[in-house]
Amino acid sequence: MPATDYQASFLGRISIRRNQVIAMDGNHEQELQDLELFSKHVSERFAELLSSPDDVPFDALLSISWLRKLLDFFLCCEAEFKGILMMGNDPSQISKPPLDRLIPEFLDRSVKALDVCNAVTNGLESVRHYQKLAEIVVSALEQKPIGDGQSRRAKKALTSLISAMNVDDKECSAAKATERSWSFSRRGVSSKDRVPEHFRSVSNHVAKNWSAAKQIQAMTNNLVPPRGAEGSGLASPVYTMSVIMVFVMWALVAAIPCQERNGLSAIHFPAPKQLNWAQSIIGLHEKIGEEWKKKEKKGTAGLLDEMQKMEKLGNILMGFTDSFQFHGDITDQKAEEAAAHAAELAEPCRRMEEGLLPLQMQIREVFHRIVKTRTELLNALDQVGKSSPPLL
Amino acid sequence: MDGCQSGVPTYEGDLHVVAAAHHIVKALGATKNLSDDLRKILIDLDSHLSMITSNIDSKGGRGLVDVEERLDQAERKIMRWETDPMMIWDSGPKEASDYLEAVDETGKLVDGLRGLSVHENRKQKEILHRAMNIFQTAMSRLEEELIHILVRHGQQFEPKNMYSRSIRKDIVYDESFVSVEDEPTKETSSQNCSNDESGECIVDLVHADVIPDIKSIAKVMFTSNYGPEFCEAFISVQKEALEQYFSFLGTENLSIEDVLKMEWTCLSSKMNKWTWSMKIIVRVYLASEKQLCDQVLGGLGSVSSYCFLEISKATILCLLNFGEAVAMGPHRPEKLLRLLDMYETLADLLRDIDTLFSEEAGSFIQLQFHELLERLGESAIAAFKAFRVAISSNGSLYPFAGGGVHPLNKYVMNYIRMFPEYWNTLNLLLKNQHPGVADQVTKPDYGPDTSLLTSCPMAYHLRSITSCLESNLHKKSQLYKDEALQHIFLMNNIHYLVQKVKGSELRLFFGDEWIRKHNAMFQQHAMNYERATWSSVVSFLKDNNPGSSSMLKSTFKERCKGFSIAFEEVYKTQTSWSIPDPQLREDLQISTSLKVVLAYRTFLGRNLAYTDEKCVKHTVEHVENSLLDLFGGSSRSLRNSRRW
Repeated sequence: MPATDYQASFLGRISIRRNQVIAMDGNHEQELQDLELFSKHVSERFAELLSSPDDVPFDALLSISWLRKLLDFFLCCEAEFKGILMMGNDPSQISKPPLDRLIPEFLDRSVKALDVCNAVTNGLESVRHYQKLAEIVVSALEQKPIGDGQSRRAKKALTSLISAMNVDDKECSAAKATERSWSFSRRGVSSKDRVPEHFRSVSNHVAKNWSAAKQIQAMTNNLVPPRGAEGSGLASPVYTMSVIMVFVMWALVAAIPCQERNGLSAIHFPAPKQLNWAQSIIGLHEKIGEEWKKKEKKGTAGLLDEMQKMEKLGNILMGFTDSFQFHGDITDQKAEEAAAHAAELAEPCRRMEEGLLPLQMQIREVFHRIVKTRTELLNALDQVGKSSPPLL
Repeated sequence: MDGCQSGVPTYEGDLHVVAAAHHIVKALGATKNLSDDLRKILIDLDSHLSMITSNIDSKGGRGLVDVEERLDQAERKIMRWETDPMMIWDSGPKEASDYLEAVDETGKLVDGLRGLSVHENRKQKEILHRAMNIFQTAMSRLEEELIHILVRHGQQFEPKNMYSRSIRKDIVYDESFVSVEDEPTKETSSQNCSNDESGECIVDLVHADVIPDIKSIAKVMFTSNYGPEFCEAFISVQKEALEQYFSFLGTENLSIEDVLKMEWTCLSSKMNKWTWSMKIIVRVYLASEKQLCDQVLGGLGSVSSYCFLEISKATILCLLNFGEAVAMGPHRPEKLLRLLDMYETLADLLRDIDTLFSEEAGSFIQLQFHELLERLGESAIAAFKAFRVAISSNGSLYPFAGGGVHPLNKYVMNYIRMFPEYWNTLNLLLKNQHPGVADQVTKPDYGPDTSLLTSCPMAYHLRSITSCLESNLHKKSQLYKDEALQHIFLMNNIHYLVQKVKGSELRLFFGDEWIRKHNAMFQQHAMNYERATWSSVVSFLKDNNPGSSSMLKSTFKERCKGFSIAFEEVYKTQTSWSIPDPQLREDLQISTSLKVVLAYRTFLGRNLAYTDEKCVKHTVEHVENSLLDLFGGSSRSLRNSRRW
């Protein structure tokens, strides 16, 4: 089937290779060693994500490439997790306490993660729109000499861009999709370049009243570190994987425009610091959480690095176009500055052009992987005999 | 119109030459050792050149004046609309073409002026900026006009006009397997739309009359480097129109969690709606959208497919997600037909999808479709297996009253009666699935003339399903204490099975041999019934001494009484039994009659001497008529009908 060829060539080449290696190793090792290896890998991977230098724009925290790395790590951890849970061990374990309770909870979390994936995929459509508007700004301002015409062209695109980015989550979900008017009310509008009362933004694509923040909050339900004897068994990778899943979804939602994110920063991860593997995740959570809190009040499209750069440069250039309009002309120095900022703006545009589609595909891959694991776990539960009533 | 090189006078070039010459003359004049004659010539030349320069300057000034005049004219045409509440394209074709002409003129002036910017001429720079300013106003206006045209002339179309909602898959039981005890009488017609399967059904999403207008706007915006603005506006309007249409179809967005928690009846209707929406959206809406994009943006490279993808992606993903959610859900048997509907719809649309999203950027969508198709296939197989498991595990604690056709049997047979509709798909999906039942059940021992249909994978599975059903019915028959009723139950149910097979396309898959075998089976049960019930009754009428002509009167009386009691007992019990099929009931009554009535008549005939009222409670006619009361489903008694 062409579909699989495509997938094999495009998606997850790395992760598949890694999975195989891990699976082979895992088969020959003791459970304890498996578990240790798993948490070691988790800890290494997230340490790498945490240490992403802020000054290297390509790999900056919450940049497109950083998110892709995050998702790649998620896929790796997930494959390893499944290997531990389903291959090496006595399969009947998953139907015995405490897993008989933990696995259904995990599956429930998985389903919630799927809806988050979809919301984020949809949010990327908005990012794509920002990119296109920013590209217009760049192309208007890179022309020389800069005159009122280009300045107005840039301003028009900037106005759309900035308002689109500032549309708050609520607005872009429920109300927005219902009734939108295309009228420009031509009479009595003085501005020369009317910006249509319409911003292509996140429409209501998950479901009415669906909230990304609530969804993630719900994913943390019952998520507590295993205690006592449980800590050495399979309960611990289930817990680890759950935390990773919640974190990844949380980070995606923080980065990319998404339906309803009120209260996102209040989500607490029950990951104790004494767990080695958890430290980097906690570190990342704190770092991103701080950022989110700063932006939350103002209302933000998301913390995606490229988007933040766009927003910052957009505001600067907006000031430039304003002063242009006011003075009718500008000094050469100002013009040069503006041109430099425009050139700077071209950079995140370029990275979006290169990275957004692959990111979207990767989120889809995560989606399919979660579905697949869920199916396999349900089948395993079924076969073990004590098939609990279908979970969801 | 002139070409752009003639748009602005080329006095600049002249100026350069003269300036260069002037420069050389001055440099030469500065040389010390020059003859007086030569010096004089140079001085003359110098003044001459100065003349030329001033000449050219005044000529150049006139050129700029020309440019300014032309710009003024274009500006008037463009700016007058800025205060006019009317939209240009609404005002008439003349207005629109005038406007486009003015835009074109401005564009040429901008290009011409920009080509000359080497010389720092203040005046010239001023005109250029003015021209560009006017040009921006025009472009901004064109974007608005575009949006206005798209919105105003967007065509609403009713799905009903596109597809007649005929009932292809006629009647489908829409209830859950769990509710098997109910009579499945609630038949809902499925809303499968049937088009003339090849049916590419393209409509005008935007009125055909305005396509040239949109194209002309596209042309001028793209040549002026305002393509991105055009695309964003076009995509925004069209995307929203699609989303509105999508909600108009009644397919609201659901989260995966919602779908997984949904009640079956609700889910079933959503699955139905999905199948229907998917077809309309892909075959009609998207095909039309693609055409619109190509009409408007064809010839602009990948722009058309880029716009199409951006317009359709979100809606397509939304549809796909519902499919994913359904495929993930618990594989309940009742989902099977709906899943098959979805599978077939998708399989049917794959070619359309591959064409619509043939570009590289669209391969993401293609891939998602292929994946979903695979998933739905797996899910359908799982539901199929669950169906069989549900059949074999359907247990009862109490015997089914009256021995009639068990609801499980009805449910199963009415359900699988739909399978032939899907046989291509089912064959494809079941090809590698083993029925998991003993071979003799599934192996077609039907001789050399076995048709292809009876040996296809679906046929194997169908027979395996009915054999599951049969063994379950056998199990259920064991719940009856009365052996005769066991046989009635099995006779009824196997007869029902055979009737359902014979009366539908199922017969092609089960084959004549299966039908013959099962006919024989229920007939055997009929015979067993007769033996179990009537042998003992008729035994009263048997002549123990075939040699002698008649028996003793006391013996006769005793036999008569015994027969009457036994007959009344049978009558009382078996009137409450049920044979729902009138033909089957009649057949059994006739054959019983043949056996019982004949024996009774002979018995009475042989002992004519004793046949007075007192001994013979029932006349032959009465017995014969009473037999017709059996298997009516309500208990009756002979005691009341006749004085003892």
